[in-house]
Amino acid sequence: MVSPGLDLELSFSQALQGFGFSPEVARLLWLPLPMLLVLVAAVVGVLVSVWLERKISAAVQQRIGPEYAGALGVLQPLADGLKLLVKEDIIPARADSLLFTLGPVLVVVPVIISWLIIPFGQNLLISNVGVGIFLWISFSSIQPIGLLMSGYASNNKYSLLGGLRAAAQSISYEIPLALAVLAIVMMSNSLSTVDIVGQQTGAGILSWNIWRQPVGFLIFWICALAECERLPFDLPEAEEELVAGYQTEYAGMKFALFYLAGYINLVLSAVLVSVLYLGGWGFPIPVEWLAGWLNQPIDAPVVQVITGTVGIVMTVLKAYLLVFVAILLRWTTPRVRIDQLLDLGWKFLLPLSLVNLLVTAALKLAFPVAFGG
Amino acid sequence: MTIATTTELICFLVLSAVVVIGALGVVLLSNIVYSAFLLGGVFTAVAGLYLLLNASFVAMAQILVYVGAINVLILFAIMLVNKREDLKAIANLTTRRAVSAGVCAGLLALLVRVVVTTPWSLPGPPAVGEEATARIGEHLFTDYLLPFEVASVLLLMAMIGAIVLARRDVLATDVVTGEVADQGLIEKARTPLLMNRAE
Amino acid sequence: MTVGASSAATVAAAQRFQAAMPDMGASLLATQAMAAPGELLNLSLNASAVLPEAAVLLAMIATLLVDLAGEKVATRWVPPICYIGLGSSLVLLALQWNAPLEPSFLGAFLADNLAVAFRAVIALSTLLSLLISWRYAEKSGTPVGEYAAILLAATLGAMLLCGATDLVSVFISLETLSVASYLLSGYMKRDARSSEAALKYLLVGSAAAAVFLYGSSLLYGLSGSTSLDTIGLALQSSTTPLAALALVFVLATVAFKIAAVPFHQWTPDVYEGSPTPVVAFLSVGSKAAGFALALRILVGCFGAFDDQWKLLFTVLAVLSMTLGNVVALAQTSMKRMLAYSSIGQAGFVMIGMVCGTEDGFAAMVLYMAAYLFMNLGAFACIILFSIRTGSDRISDYAGLYQKDPLITLGLSLCLLSLGGIPPMLGFFGKIYLFFAGWANHQYLLVVVGLVTSVISIYYYISVIKMMVVKEPQEASDVVKAYPDVNWSLMGMQPLRVALIGCVAITAVGGILSNPLFQWANTAVAGTPLLQQAIALSSLKGLG
Repeated sequence: MVSPGLDLELSFSQALQGFGFSPEVARLLWLPLPMLLVLVAAVVGVLVSVWLERKISAAVQQRIGPEYAGALGVLQPLADGLKLLVKEDIIPARADSLLFTLGPVLVVVPVIISWLIIPFGQNLLISNVGVGIFLWISFSSIQPIGLLMSGYASNNKYSLLGGLRAAAQSISYEIPLALAVLAIVMMSNSLSTVDIVGQQTGAGILSWNIWRQPVGFLIFWICALAECERLPFDLPEAEEELVAGYQTEYAGMKFALFYLAGYINLVLSAVLVSVLYLGGWGFPIPVEWLAGWLNQPIDAPVVQVITGTVGIVMTVLKAYLLVFVAILLRWTTPRVRIDQLLDLGWKFLLPLSLVNLLVTAALKLAFPVAFGG
Repeated sequence: MTIATTTELICFLVLSAVVVIGALGVVLLSNIVYSAFLLGGVFTAVAGLYLLLNASFVAMAQILVYVGAINVLILFAIMLVNKREDLKAIANLTTRRAVSAGVCAGLLALLVRVVVTTPWSLPGPPAVGEEATARIGEHLFTDYLLPFEVASVLLLMAMIGAIVLARRDVLATDVVTGEVADQGLIEKARTPLLMNRAE
Repeated sequence: MTVGASSAATVAAAQRFQAAMPDMGASLLATQAMAAPGELLNLSLNASAVLPEAAVLLAMIATLLVDLAGEKVATRWVPPICYIGLGSSLVLLALQWNAPLEPSFLGAFLADNLAVAFRAVIALSTLLSLLISWRYAEKSGTPVGEYAAILLAATLGAMLLCGATDLVSVFISLETLSVASYLLSGYMKRDARSSEAALKYLLVGSAAAAVFLYGSSLLYGLSGSTSLDTIGLALQSSTTPLAALALVFVLATVAFKIAAVPFHQWTPDVYEGSPTPVVAFLSVGSKAAGFALALRILVGCFGAFDDQWKLLFTVLAVLSMTLGNVVALAQTSMKRMLAYSSIGQAGFVMIGMVCGTEDGFAAMVLYMAAYLFMNLGAFACIILFSIRTGSDRISDYAGLYQKDPLITLGLSLCLLSLGGIPPMLGFFGKIYLFFAGWANHQYLLVVVGLVTSVISIYYYISVIKMMVVKEPQEASDVVKAYPDVNWSLMGMQPLRVALIGCVAITAVGGILSNPLFQWANTAVAGTPLLQQAIALSSLKGLG
């Protein structure tokens, strides 16, 4: 059906073999490259979102925001990062130094690993593992352990409370989140992110999952915001109650890791929403149709490069649209109370997502054509 | 030996070491919070072993269920009741520890001996790989349908039971007669069994 | 007879049976082998075999739904729902009796006559336990709806355990039974002893479950299958030390479930701390499930280790009979005395298992059924007494004859039957067990059984003496202040029905025990698993 598209690994491996390397060595040399690329992409993504956050919040509050570091202040996040990097690394005297250090690491590593499965095109992802989206769900469940760890190790009651709140929140919203994803998986008959996007490519924007799963989309988005601890769900670090929650005692690079994890997670969630509900790398009008109208063969190199570029641009564009929405939400909505938060998760979203799952299953049985029979 | 098998061997050794040392730490450390965190590490390393066996779905399920749910709940429980309590010193603690260590070591020796002498039918069935998810689903709805459904009854009942045990509003009066309910009902005046033991 | 010859004989016999029953074996093997993708989905599940369990499950769900409407509605509607569910379950079980055998769920469950018999015992024990628990639950202020639901879940697990022929099904149903039992024993949560009992039971039970899982994993590693039949075949061809180790692990769990000495430590504390109706269920239903599991796994799977597990079981039986009955002598609490006596009774039942003959198995089934009625009858009397007086001490029963002849008569008959005095039902059950043991040359077991029976008669009679012989002025304070007998309260009538029913069957059943004998013999005759084992052991006896 869909053309294989760009296969960078194959080209790279062939190029290296041309230089006389064995296929195994070529693969070994290839392996770190996409990882590095994704790491860089994730960090750049964070810098962009931090800048966006600052600018948009300023716009919402009718300020100007950062403007001196670079044009329109684009270098401001870089300056922030540099500041955190060179700050003194403080470990409180009565804290548990080992767990105190390990906590932020455990928070940031699973988020970065989850980038494994983000597709930017048919072959533009690090690893098309069969468990696909399930990998992200299970790795995001490790995060609460890191939060509990840093909350406990700080030896500070605000930190502990923040850590407990974060873990409770994370567990509560993971279930509806997973159920929303399950409805999607049921339609695409696969856990793989590539297959999930592939199932949405038939008719451009009309075949996106958001039309078939509007409720699932809302559930997923709400839960993703809660998992990222964004307002209106940022109780774990609610300044007015808990100083800064589990981050209270952290400074310097360790604090930066939390900061980084938060934003990487936000971008990751946004990308996943676009993958699951907004057609991933797909252009609103299928590229194949465009190529057909322009009388270009779909496997011509130029078309392939254009398709790949369009895929990356579309994914990033959709993701940043969602990041924009998240930032607007943060600066316009008030925070909920902890009991309201848990009620929303357990008494509303969980039953709703179960119903959504059952309705999807029923629709799949009734209309196999439209719901991936 | 190719690069792939070497990598696999190294991964296996590292993961096994993590599992063994972590499990020992869970048992031997006196700080229960450390034990709980190490338990998470052990679970994760076991998931890694599953990955080495080409069972990625099982590995992910292991992480999601054991690390993400069970271990977090254990940590929760520990941190919510984080009372520093000085326990009463137990008499002959060293002797007891030595005895239990001896029993465990003996059991280990027995197991190792037996496992080594058994002629295992190797290699086992080939790994299903990426198709595993679909195959697991198939088995769950055919030959393992009964346990799968009974597990849902088990979980439902465990949940209800936990709620019943944890909630506060036990009926204070008899619904029919309106008399005050008698929770002890039998042998009210007795002390708990443990205290009897200690005398 | 040398080991080599015996194992050769067993293998030959197994092959013979494999040839005799090609259809069953073949279909089981086909499901466990690596089937092609999608192939499994086309096979028939034969799910009708679990219809009795489905009735119980429906009753459980209905109970939970009714319970949503509040405690008053639940008190009104939960009992009839439970009666209907368990009653229809019993009817469905009766329909399965002697039905053509087909493994259901592709070899996870088998409704042979043995399973049907044990499931009936369990369902009946739940029904009787529920009948005697309504008033008790009301008076102790515990919510009735959840109590019934959890008890039904325990029943479901126990019933499935009786027919499960796959390690995974066995484990899950075992856990369903166990977890429900933990919850039930901690149900009186304001009573510290109940919570303590639940915690102890949970800890020991989890350890037992872990040991069972370890043993199962060894079995799976040896055979590459979770089906008990396949494992049995694999063990016959390779009697490795590892298999022996797996046997020890599995046996430990079975012994834990039937509370055989030395795996009995949890029993007295749990029985004393738990609510009494729960103890009634645990001592009959849970134990019956344990014996069914023992038959399935030991007889069905470890046929190649016949001598080993029979030796271990002999030791367990002797210890259980001795310790259970001797320690029961010294008890002052009625519940605790019955707890120890139930350990001893389990020891008697084990005689039948060690025999491994047609009579032995039939005696087991018969004694379980007899034990159901006499033990639950005794518990009904104890509960009635404790509801009226709030006491459980044996000395408080002094002089009860004057105040409450019904309890006195019922308890006396049931205790006499438990002790094995003719012409009660228990006498025939016990004599059948001893007869089977003697015929199989298990002289040690029979002698120990006889001696400990006499000991048990002593302590049973002393309770009766306490109730009957004392003069009015010697009666205990509790009995002197005995309230008026009042049957009009909610939950009292069911209790009365259960009490009179159990006592009547205990008393009359002995005389009319012929149908019961036939029933037990049919149960054994209609079970291929047991027939196979009997043939094997008779073959070995000849060789």
